[in-house]
Amino acid sequence: MLKYSIKRIILALITAFIILTLTFFLVKSLPPRGVVTSDDNVRYAFYVDQVNLGYVLDMPSEAKWLADEPLALVKFDNGVEHWFYQKPVLDQYFAWLGNIVTKWDWGRSTVLEPNSSAINIIFSRLPVSVSVNVIAVFVSVPLGIALGILAGLKKNTWIDHTISTLVMIFISIPSFVVITFMVYILAFKGGLLPTIWPTPDQSTQTKVLAYIIPVLSLSFGSVCGYTRFVRAELCEVMSSEYLLLARTKGLTKTQAITRHALRNAFVPILPSILAEFIGVFSGSMILENIYGIPGIGDLYIKALNQNNPDYNVLMVDMAIFITVGLLAGIILDLSYGFIDPRIRMGEKK
Amino acid sequence: MAKKKEDFDITKLPIEAQDPEIKAEDFVISDENKVVHEQKLQTKPTTFLRDSLKRFSKNKSSVVASIILGLLLLLSVVVPLADQSDVSVSHPEAVYLEPKLFNSGTGFWDGTKNFENIAVDISPDPEGIDKEANWWPNPERFERNAITKKVFTPETYTNQLSGYGKQGYLQTGYYNNIDDSKEFVEFKTQQMSVDFNVNVNHYVTEFDTYNEEKLEVIEGKDNAKLPENYVLGEAALYFNYIDGEEEKHSIEIIGYSSEHNIGSDVTSRATSKVNISSVIKSQSEQTVFEKCSFSIRIKNELKHENTCILLKKFSFATDSTDKAFKEQFLAPNFSDATECMRRESKIESAINYKYWSSTGTKQIYESKVVYCSFTYDSYEAKLGTKEWTSFPLTKLEEYRVKGWLDWNVDVDFEHGEFVLNLDTFAGEVKNPKKCPVAKDIAPEDVYVDPTNGDVFVDCMITFYKYYGYDSMPVYLFGTDKSGRDMLKYVFEGLRTSLLLGIATTLVCCIIGLIYGAVSGYYGGTVDLVMERITDILSGLPWIVVMTLVIIHMGSNFFTFALALCLTGWIGTAATTRTQFYRFRGREYVLASRTLGASDARLIRKHILPNAMGTIITAEVLMVPSVIFSEATISYLGLGLKNLSSLGVILSNNQSELTSNSYLLIFPSVIIALLMISFNLFGNGLRDAVNPSLKGEEE
Repeated sequence: MLKYSIKRIILALITAFIILTLTFFLVKSLPPRGVVTSDDNVRYAFYVDQVNLGYVLDMPSEAKWLADEPLALVKFDNGVEHWFYQKPVLDQYFAWLGNIVTKWDWGRSTVLEPNSSAINIIFSRLPVSVSVNVIAVFVSVPLGIALGILAGLKKNTWIDHTISTLVMIFISIPSFVVITFMVYILAFKGGLLPTIWPTPDQSTQTKVLAYIIPVLSLSFGSVCGYTRFVRAELCEVMSSEYLLLARTKGLTKTQAITRHALRNAFVPILPSILAEFIGVFSGSMILENIYGIPGIGDLYIKALNQNNPDYNVLMVDMAIFITVGLLAGIILDLSYGFIDPRIRMGEKK
Repeated sequence: MAKKKEDFDITKLPIEAQDPEIKAEDFVISDENKVVHEQKLQTKPTTFLRDSLKRFSKNKSSVVASIILGLLLLLSVVVPLADQSDVSVSHPEAVYLEPKLFNSGTGFWDGTKNFENIAVDISPDPEGIDKEANWWPNPERFERNAITKKVFTPETYTNQLSGYGKQGYLQTGYYNNIDDSKEFVEFKTQQMSVDFNVNVNHYVTEFDTYNEEKLEVIEGKDNAKLPENYVLGEAALYFNYIDGEEEKHSIEIIGYSSEHNIGSDVTSRATSKVNISSVIKSQSEQTVFEKCSFSIRIKNELKHENTCILLKKFSFATDSTDKAFKEQFLAPNFSDATECMRRESKIESAINYKYWSSTGTKQIYESKVVYCSFTYDSYEAKLGTKEWTSFPLTKLEEYRVKGWLDWNVDVDFEHGEFVLNLDTFAGEVKNPKKCPVAKDIAPEDVYVDPTNGDVFVDCMITFYKYYGYDSMPVYLFGTDKSGRDMLKYVFEGLRTSLLLGIATTLVCCIIGLIYGAVSGYYGGTVDLVMERITDILSGLPWIVVMTLVIIHMGSNFFTFALALCLTGWIGTAATTRTQFYRFRGREYVLASRTLGASDARLIRKHILPNAMGTIITAEVLMVPSVIFSEATISYLGLGLKNLSSLGVILSNNQSELTSNSYLLIFPSVIIALLMISFNLFGNGLRDAVNPSLKGEEE
């Protein structure tokens, strides 16, 4: 098990490394963009830092003969003109790797918060995303499991049909439609909830109420997912022979369900719940964008602004999403093995 | 053929059957003379496809879903062809028309919108019998001809500044957290630019502030209370000036009190007025002041509380006859607090001179207003018959040439010319069906612009005729901010979305099928390497791939489809691979291989047909997921820009959720319907094609 786990983690690390390398080169192949700021001091500091970090060459003014377009021409306070040129992409790549390993510097923001470390921007926004997601998980997982068990036990009755139909409908409606109309009905028409994420100086009551719409909208999808998943698993177990045996042995229906059916049905469900907990670290772009939550999903959309993209912030945000995705995958596969030692997910036959 | 009797020989039976107890005679041959032929199958032979179809049609919800889906597909083709309106250009005359299906007045889907609690102007005829008929909301927002079913509320009180409110109190004060040193707030007039001479008498004739008891007594209304979260403070009037050495001075004119009643009723005004000049003279040597102003200071003995005063009226009077001085000195006067606030908040935009400014807060409290709820017909408002003042005669000439309208002209025999006689002008509508002019024109409606001699007419114009519509247009889904017909726009969007979904799915299907087939059929090292590649690709979040492609290649239909294809095929490849693993070891494949079939033939003829059912259903379910992805990314504003997919339409109208929610409701309903029916259809298809999977992930 340990060997297998280590193998999986190393494999995931390699995959993450390859993906990040790929995205790095893809992003670097875009037309380069300098820092966007009106503050001259920040601009100087940015380019000086870029030189120190090894991404940019600083040329004195007489080196204008270089064929490439310079990244920027900055006139320093002492009147000296500095021409900044991008280093070759491969050089930048190794500098980038070096900076991550030695300084934990994932690049500097160019637009959103000029010259501050991108990873710090991400970390400053992470708590909001996580808090919303964690509450959503705590709401949706029990609810989804309860509904799924109900539908599975009452299979082919009106209860099951109602739950399955609702699940079908809610899983089909795009989340942005759900969020938009939830904001419209609950916040604008009802006037009960804030229409947008509150600023830090607003009252505690508003802040608490502001969680309702995000949590609800995040829960809709995952409640539906869990209901469907639990129902399917439970239906399968309910028709298995060992359950029949358990009943023939004389167990009551409740005993058979709680001791045999549910336990077996939860073998594939528990890992996905664990993976869901890893997933709280990635923000929901749509929700955060529509409801104005200053989390990392919203940050991603802002960094992706087509007129003024902030590539470095984008890179780190992508790295977070990729890492979370891979980590959730590992947790999913490994926990299968812990829960049911017969299963080795992703291993050769 | 039945065997003949002679053929039967017991000795030829296997040894254990040769029971000596059983004699040959014991056997009786039945149906000895019956000739039994090979019979045709009693049941009809069925193909896999037909069988699936039968299973599919038993699933009612899937059948309904496929009908809805078919209908949507049909509409997405038919509606853009049948609807003649042009959605590529804007129609400024027909913006924001509400969706209309029924005649107006039915109350539902009839092109009207209900407005509630809109302040109305009650100044015209406030006492008359039929006074309410003349009360209208702001004409800049609401056309009168479109308003029906007006319901007025009795006069109510509001703390919001409204264009038609009146009276009330000017509430000025401060929030908490003011330092001890700054225990008062100033509510002051602008500095005067003319000299203030105290040798002439100036007065304060009205200075009317309210405390709690007085509020209750005077208003006599139940809920007369202080503004929420505030306490009433004390107010005093000061005179401020700057002397020759640029030093600031203040003279108290009226001392601090929680209540001032100067001039609160008309009869006592003459006796209670305060002579400013004499107060200043008693306190200062100076008699002529430059740069001076008045201020009302507010304080509260209990510090750090939210304090305000309620000022109802304030006015100065002067004996001076200097016109410039009087204008400035009397400017801050007000007897209607709402009116005072209005002129300072630029609701009445003509005046932009601030009479009073406050170092604290300033707002209106308990302003009286009459609200009206009414039904507003957007079609009447935009395209109905309205009065058009100064309609150019040159335009009328065009109608006259077409024979829609005619008017009398005098003939000038001397010059042989037709002369327009404005005094006897009588325009007559000849073709009421076509002519935009709704009523005959009388001579008094015609006039000449004295500056350039152009002739103008005040007349009733039917706007839809004026803009060239034959009849009042009807928009089933309404129109958006540029007057586009949402019906056509939405179904064009649906068509784009469907095209994108189907095209992408097809491409993904081809790539995924080949990739999955190779990887699943050959297995081993080939499979291992190919699997790692898909691992890495599927590790990239699709939104990342999509954004990178869009940043690199711009945003149009093809790059968008490409971006969706780049990772979209992985799912198909995985399904195909699993299916190939499942079937490649089967006996019939082995048999065919022994007969010398090539790999290509095995895949094409033996494995693929078996795997096809599962793969096709997976592909059908992929279409809605592609549409979903496209809509999501477009909604976030990162997607298609020039093409109108459903996501783009929703994204464009995002901001109008509160004002014109129908712009979002219709596309949302269509996209939800599309998703639900596609998923139900796909699930039904999967259950039908692969009955063993039924219910597993319904």
